[in-house]
Amino acid sequence: MGPVIEARGLTHAYPDGTTAIQDVTVSIDEGERVAVIGANGSGKSTLQLALGGLVEPTAGTVRYFDETTDAEAVRDRLGVLLQDPDDYLFNTTVREDLEYGPAQLGMSREAATQRVAHVAAELGLDALLDRPPFRLSGGEKQRAAVASVLAFEPDVLLLDEPFGAVDAHYRDRILKLVTDHEGTVVLFTPSLDVVADVADRVIVVGPDGSIAADGSVRDVLTDSTLLQANGLRPPATVTLFEGILDADDVPLTVSDARAYLLDELG
Amino acid sequence: MTGVVGRSVESITGALRTVFTAEQVASADGLLQRRDPRVAVCSVAGLALAVMITRTIAVTLCFGAVTVILARLSAVPLRRLLARSLAVPLVSAVIVLPQVVVLPGDTLVRAFGLSVTVDGVAYVVLFTLRVGVGVALLSLIVMTTPFSAVVAAMRELHVPVALVWVIAVTYRYLFLFFDELQRLVLARNSRTTGRSSLRGGWRDAKRLVGTFLLRTLDRGERVGRAMQARGGARPPSPYSRSRTVDRGDYALVALAVIAVVGSGVVRWGL
Ligand SMILES: Nc1ncnc2c1ncn2[C@@H]1O[C@H](COP(=O)(O)OP(=O)(O)OP(=O)(O)O)[C@@H](O)[C@H]1O
Ligand SMILES: [Mg+2]
Repeated sequence: MGPVIEARGLTHAYPDGTTAIQDVTVSIDEGERVAVIGANGSGKSTLQLALGGLVEPTAGTVRYFDETTDAEAVRDRLGVLLQDPDDYLFNTTVREDLEYGPAQLGMSREAATQRVAHVAAELGLDALLDRPPFRLSGGEKQRAAVASVLAFEPDVLLLDEPFGAVDAHYRDRILKLVTDHEGTVVLFTPSLDVVADVADRVIVVGPDGSIAADGSVRDVLTDSTLLQANGLRPPATVTLFEGILDADDVPLTVSDARAYLLDELG
Repeated sequence: MTGVVGRSVESITGALRTVFTAEQVASADGLLQRRDPRVAVCSVAGLALAVMITRTIAVTLCFGAVTVILARLSAVPLRRLLARSLAVPLVSAVIVLPQVVVLPGDTLVRAFGLSVTVDGVAYVVLFTLRVGVGVALLSLIVMTTPFSAVVAAMRELHVPVALVWVIAVTYRYLFLFFDELQRLVLARNSRTTGRSSLRGGWRDAKRLVGTFLLRTLDRGERVGRAMQARGGARPPSPYSRSRTVDRGDYALVALAVIAVVGSGVVRWGL
């Protein structure tokens, strides 16, 4: 399976001179589950926009599906969800927002109706479909935004902090939708607690916007020194078991930790 | 930002923001809601055209009455319609106001060495009325038909893509503009206490305008990206809501045709 996204020497500086990402070279293969982590302001969102072809890089190139450098040519296969739902939802009703992507990207009406009904039900949006998006609560907006990107069934999901304001119930629902996604997933997030649930591979963006590490989820999440140097803190389970268990055995998720404890306690 | 300026900015933006939301009314059951979107777009555009042709106050007032009746039959509250369509004619009234002294004719009153003419006043009144009724008609369609259905109807009617694009983008940005303004005012109000003088209020308001423009531009850029991320760079192509045209549809089209023809006959004769 070839790379779905391949970036070389990607650099982006905003017009005011802020260099948000620097010389990023990454390759993401089909079906991979990747988390991109980094402190606030490290450049995760900018990297997401650059990988999704939504900002013009100052230097470097991005190649999609080993066939083109033009993101618009493969727009229907890239699911780029922006960080702020207030930017992402721009239609007059939630339903129109859910249908926007499918309609613009050429999904048949029947397929779209089915798909929209499915994601709306999964994310508890049925009663909100005729409401204007800006009248929703923070978590409802977030759910509507996630539903809007899932609605057109992109192959590659590039999700910037999709768990933002949602409560525990819907956080699990979104988590499930993301892990059940059949294609590639790239999750951009500053909070490491969900990372091990979603990803096998973790990329750390350093404070200067360059890639500080790129490795397996276990190698990165158990490396407290690396994480701290980049303004991050290991997940709670790692902190809890660090020094008690080998790095190879430290549970990365709460459910793993619970299984381990139950096992130990007989 | 409290005080008079703050409060008025808040209420104006609040009002304008609701003005740009169609919700509920679009899903209510009424005359225009039941029309095929293509028919609704065409006939309302026809009526607006008829208003633009008109050059007499009486005929314009007739169209005003037609607009009010259509609104009533479509469960559109008149106050909402009025709020929505008042701003544009008021601005255009200010722009054409100098005509009251520029246009030659019988003098109505003399003030400051200028004579206000009957013809000038009539012109300004007629102009403002026409713009007002025209805008009210267009608001009516936006309030009774989901915006994506309006866009889809325009595409089906072979309106040039570039024009549909401009209309779709403008509508979304207008909305964004008021949303951003209200957010900013809310954020400011939550961080200021007590009463400020009128002058302090104005100083604040000026700063607010600067911040506001920057923020709107920034937000516009981000929303632009969000559209692009979901295929916004391609021509607008929402799912159509067209159906087979029924008797009510034909009746509305007939009304629009009669309006255009009638308006033309009154202005140019047979
Ligand atoms: N429109 C902009 N103009 C100028 N600088 C910007 C702009 N957007 C972001 N930046 C700057 O670029 C850098 C990276 O921002 P970015 O939004 O990519 O960070 P992030 O890692 O996503 O942070 P967070 O975790 O807070 O979402 C920051 O220093 C930020 O201040
Ligand atoms: Mg970010």
